Parts: sequence; C-alpha cells; structure tokens
Amino acid sequence: MIAKKVLLVGNFGVGKTSLIRRFVLNEFSEEYISTIGVRVSSKIIQIENQEIKLLIWDVAGTSDDEKVPKAYFLGSSAAMYVFDLSREETYKNINAKVDIVKELSGLKNITIIGNKKDLVSSKEIEAIKKLIPFSIDLITSAKENENVEDAFKELAKQTLN
Amino acid sequence: MEKTTVDNKDNRFELLKELLLADDRKDFNVLKEEVLEREKFKVKVTPVLDERIEDLKVNFSDHFGKNITEAIKIQIRESQDEVVEALYPILGKLVKKFIIAEITKLTESINQTINDKFSISQIIKRLFKGKRTDADDVLQEVFEPIIEEIFVINKDSGLLAGNYSRGNIADKDMVSGMLTAIKSFAKDSFSKDGQDIEDIKFENFQLSIQNFKTIYIATATSGVINPDFEEELLEDINNLAEIILRDRSYLIDEEKLNTIIKNIFIKKE
Ligand SMILES: Nc1nc2c(ncn2[C@@H]2O[C@H](COP(=O)(O)OP(=O)(O)OP(=O)(O)O)[C@@H](O)[C@H]2O)c(=O)[nH]1
Ligand SMILES: [Mg+2]
Repeated sequence: MIAKKVLLVGNFGVGKTSLIRRFVLNEFSEEYISTIGVRVSSKIIQIENQEIKLLIWDVAGTSDDEKVPKAYFLGSSAAMYVFDLSREETYKNINAKVDIVKELSGLKNITIIGNKKDLVSSKEIEAIKKLIPFSIDLITSAKENENVEDAFKELAKQTLN
Repeated sequence: MEKTTVDNKDNRFELLKELLLADDRKDFNVLKEEVLEREKFKVKVTPVLDERIEDLKVNFSDHFGKNITEAIKIQIRESQDEVVEALYPILGKLVKKFIIAEITKLTESINQTINDKFSISQIIKRLFKGKRTDADDVLQEVFEPIIEEIFVINKDSGLLAGNYSRGNIADKDMVSGMLTAIKSFAKDSFSKDGQDIEDIKFENFQLSIQNFKTIYIATATSGVINPDFEEELLEDINNLAEIILRDRSYLIDEEKLNTIIKNIFIKKE
C-alpha cells in the first residue's frame, strides 16, 4: 500500500485537530487544546480503487506573523488550508497565506476548507465565498460531522496528482 | 339644573355627561397637569441628561472603573476554580509552550554569557558540583530534560530495530505518530546530501534525529534541553551507533538491542 504524507495548516483554533479527530476517530470535543509543534496520525482511505495510507500531519496553528517551519513540508504530497468561517481574521488575506504555503511546500494545489459551518448561516457563507478570490473546496463542520470525510478524500485525491 | 329644558336634548346630554363624568374629569385634569409638567420638565432636563450621558460615555471607566474592577476581582477570587477550569485548556498549554520557549532562550543566553565571561566555567561547575542555587533547583525540577523515547531505525527497511520507552507517554497513538514523523523526516531530509533538519517539536516533546550509515537514532525528550544534557545525549547516541555498527547482530536481535540502549542511556537511574 502506498503511504502519502499530507499536512493541515491554518491559523490556530480553526479546527485542524478537530477535523482530524473526526476523520480518524469519529470523535469531537468542545475543549480547545492547542497543538504544539506537530502531531502525526494515520488512516487508510479508499480512493479511485486504490488504498492509500494517509499520514496526516497536524501542524500547530500559526498567527499572522508566524510561518510553518519549512522542514514540516518535506516530502508532503498534499496540503489542506483550513480557515474558520466564524473568524474573519482566519480568511482575511487567505490569498497571501496560501501562496506562502505553496512556496514552502512546493505544492501547486492546496485544498481549501472552511470549517465550523454550524456557527454561520448560509447567507454568511455566500458572503465569504464572494470575498475569497478562489474557490473553497469544501465547507465542513467537525462538530456536526459534515463533509469531513469528503474533505479528506479531496486531499487524498490531490496526493495522486 | 335650571337650564334644563325638555326639548334641548343636546344640553341635557351635556348635563348628563357633566354629572356622570365629573369625577373622571377631575382625574383627567390632574393627569393633564402632570403630563404638561413632565413635558416642561423634559425640555429642561434632556440637555442635562444628554450631557451626563456623553460624559459617561467618555469617562465611564473613571466613574465606575474602580468599582467594576473590584467587583470582577472579587468575582474571580470567589470562583477561582471555575475561572481556572475555563481558561486552563487554552492557557495551560500555551503558557507551557511559551515558558519552555522563553526558558530555553534564557538558558541559552545565560550559558552564552557564562561562556563568554568565564572560559573556566567548566572548572567552576565541577568544583561546585552539587552546590546549586534555589532558582536552579526550581527550574531543574519543573523543566528537567528527560529522555522519553529512543528509537533505532533500520535505514534499509525503515523498520524499528529497537527502542527504549520511559513509559511516560501513555498515548500509544502519540508514540506511533512520533515514529512516523521521525521516519519521514529522516527519509526526506537525509536523502539529499548535506541537508540537515532542525529539531522538531512534537507536541510537548523535542524530537531529534541522527543519521548514521545504516541506521537512524531518534530521541524524544521532554523539558528544557540545556547544553550539558545535549552534549551527553549526543555522546550516548554516538556510542550506541558505534556499538551497533560494529556488531550488526544487534540489528536482528531486538531484545539485545533494547538492553544495550537502556544500559547506555539510563545509566544514572
Ligand atoms: N462549533 C464548532 N466548533 C469547532 C469545530 N471544529 C473545531 N471546533 C472548536 O474549535 C476549537 C479549536 O479546535 P482545534 O481543532 O483544536 O483547532 P486547531 O486548528 O487544531 O488549533 P491549533 O492546534 O491551536 O492550531 C475547539 O474548541 C473545537 O471544539 C466545528 O466544526 N464547529
Ligand atoms: Mg490543533
């Protein structure tokens, strides 16, 4: 079976760890325990008739003036940029932030995920979509288990490109 | 009642109204007075009120700041447990992260200063071994560097040849995640010549990976790494590598390897 390294990045508190916990363990917690450094978990996923072992790197969230250490991107096949639909500062300037991730990782495509769908109305989502200069791949809720599996499938697909 | 005539219906009606509503009218007049008064009052008072409100808007904290702060202080003091409980998950780790980073910086700068100022620091240290300051003790206790896990990985197969675990990390997923991270860091960063990686923070642990001819040796440590600890750790790692590389049988006998790892690293305990 092939193993692929994937990364989740984005501001702190947007729900990266929660998305992974939902995907890998099907668990969710309201408690916020900020990730330090990095943490790796894995899950086997079926995609395009292939089994892939995703090695999911949960990288500690950054604030605006911080960058993810370049070494973390070594050998990664895909990356997910997560933002929080309910916190503007996590998608303001998303363009520049995603560009930085592309530069550091050398990846051409980054999966863009807007999380915490349960906290905003569909009207607000529409407004955010208009605001962001590129298309959001999926709108998820780790809390209510919406689109989480699909988000990781999308990410896994990117590893095959 | 003298005005009353039979055919003057209107008048009679008026009279009847007068009779029936006399009391109500009294009330009405009183009310009217009051309302009028109030209107007048409002005209007079509104500007003053506006002024006060403006003043409050601007100077609220001057007027009430002290009281509110006091009230909040009391509230927090009286429900400390709740406050701590609410904030701990967020602050606890962040504070720890911050403190560890800061202390590391501090330790580095202190050591730098000592090294700069006294080249004989090593001699002094040896002379006064065992004689340490209170602050040293506290720092040492809280942030004492500890070897949590050691992994010896076979380069060719990528498999774990042997390991030591202090047994402190109860979370098995964490350990296997660490191992995954180590392998991928090793594979990706040592595949190109001369490329070296920084140490990696893995949750509360510091991972560092050493690259040898046929093996990687990785360590996970907790606490604040000081130069002495680091030097000793590196020496132990080199010793271990030398032993393994000289006698390959260690790589096929996990038990034997585990024993030697333990003997080398955990001698002090
Ligand atoms: N309502 C809601 N809350 C969520 C959702 N996903 C995460 N959260 C909450 O948001 C907080 C932060 O979630 P984490 O998963 O720890 O965020 P993170 O991106 O890993 O944060 P860092 O590790 O600090 O970078 C937690 O309190 C979660 O319970 C969601 O879909 N809906
Ligand atoms: Mg996290």
